[in-house]
Amino acid sequence: MNIELKKFGTTLVSRPAGKEAWLAFQPVLKGVLPDEKIIVNFDGVVVLTPSWADEFLTPLRNNFKEKVELINTNNSSVKATLSILNQNF
Amino acid sequence: MHRFTYTTMHKLLSIGQAAKLLGVSIDTLRRWDSAGRLRSIRTGMRGHRFYNRSDIDQYLQEIDLVALNWAKSTNVTEPNPDVYCQTRDVFQARLEKFQSTLSKNVPIEVVSLITAVAGEIGNNSFDHNLGSWPDISGIFFSYNMRNRKVVLADRGQGILTTLKRVRPELASSSEALKVAFTETISGRYPETRGNGLKFVKAIIVKNPFSLYFQTGDAQLSLKKDDVELNIKQTDTIINGCFALISFEELL
Repeated sequence: MNIELKKFGTTLVSRPAGKEAWLAFQPVLKGVLPDEKIIVNFDGVVVLTPSWADEFLTPLRNNFKEKVELINTNNSSVKATLSILNQNF
Repeated sequence: MHRFTYTTMHKLLSIGQAAKLLGVSIDTLRRWDSAGRLRSIRTGMRGHRFYNRSDIDQYLQEIDLVALNWAKSTNVTEPNPDVYCQTRDVFQARLEKFQSTLSKNVPIEVVSLITAVAGEIGNNSFDHNLGSWPDISGIFFSYNMRNRKVVLADRGQGILTTLKRVRPELASSSEALKVAFTETISGRYPETRGNGLKFVKAIIVKNPFSLYFQTGDAQLSLKKDDVELNIKQTDTIINGCFALISFEELL
């Protein structure tokens, strides 16, 4: 499964927006097959903060663990956010 | 106080109009006039105070002073609508406008980081004060591209009050400020997250940016390559939070 984060917006900064994205995406996540990888694509995201990511990426990783793969993470705030989140895993 | 002729009157603002533009009360403007901080012009039979539009415009350019005054004033009104984000939705829309304006002036890596820092600080104000604003809800958010400054302020409860809920042993705003910028802690018990200000710190010390942050009677100054947090006690108290982000070295 591919998750294109830019479809949630390109300025992903607040907790409520992250939480809403997570809730809205639940029906789609229910369709993940047992051996299927979940690829999170950051392409097109201009701004990401830990507040948004904590509400979406953290539960995604908690639920699907090593099945989650992150790609196109070169944006500067994406890198800074993932660096902070990784300290908590 | 200046005296002036009637012919210039069309360029003048009443004290009420000036107060509204500056987001302060009429009493505050009277005090500023007496203290020589923002001079009025007296005219008419009763010597009412008026203000030159250009003086007000110039003062509004000093966005950090305007925001700081709003944050620490004891007698306050809602800020000028141009800088007032009463709700998070308004802040999000203005943040995206800021991001778009910034991208015309600086590289995308800087746009991304500065917007993320401003977004995290602004949203923190909403996260920690939702439903508990002591007087005026929402935040002051403004920026000046010429001076490469972004300012955010709130009249919320401040970091000490927020963190005391989960760390009752915290005794001062200085301690609370240090915890907020160095530990993963959230005042939103039972939530365990709270990386926001740590994230801000990580970005500032790795880039040619600087941050001034005040809450209660504590101030923090942070710049590139800083290892230790520079926290000091202040003379004036802000009940909420005030943040000034500068990125002037990119010019």
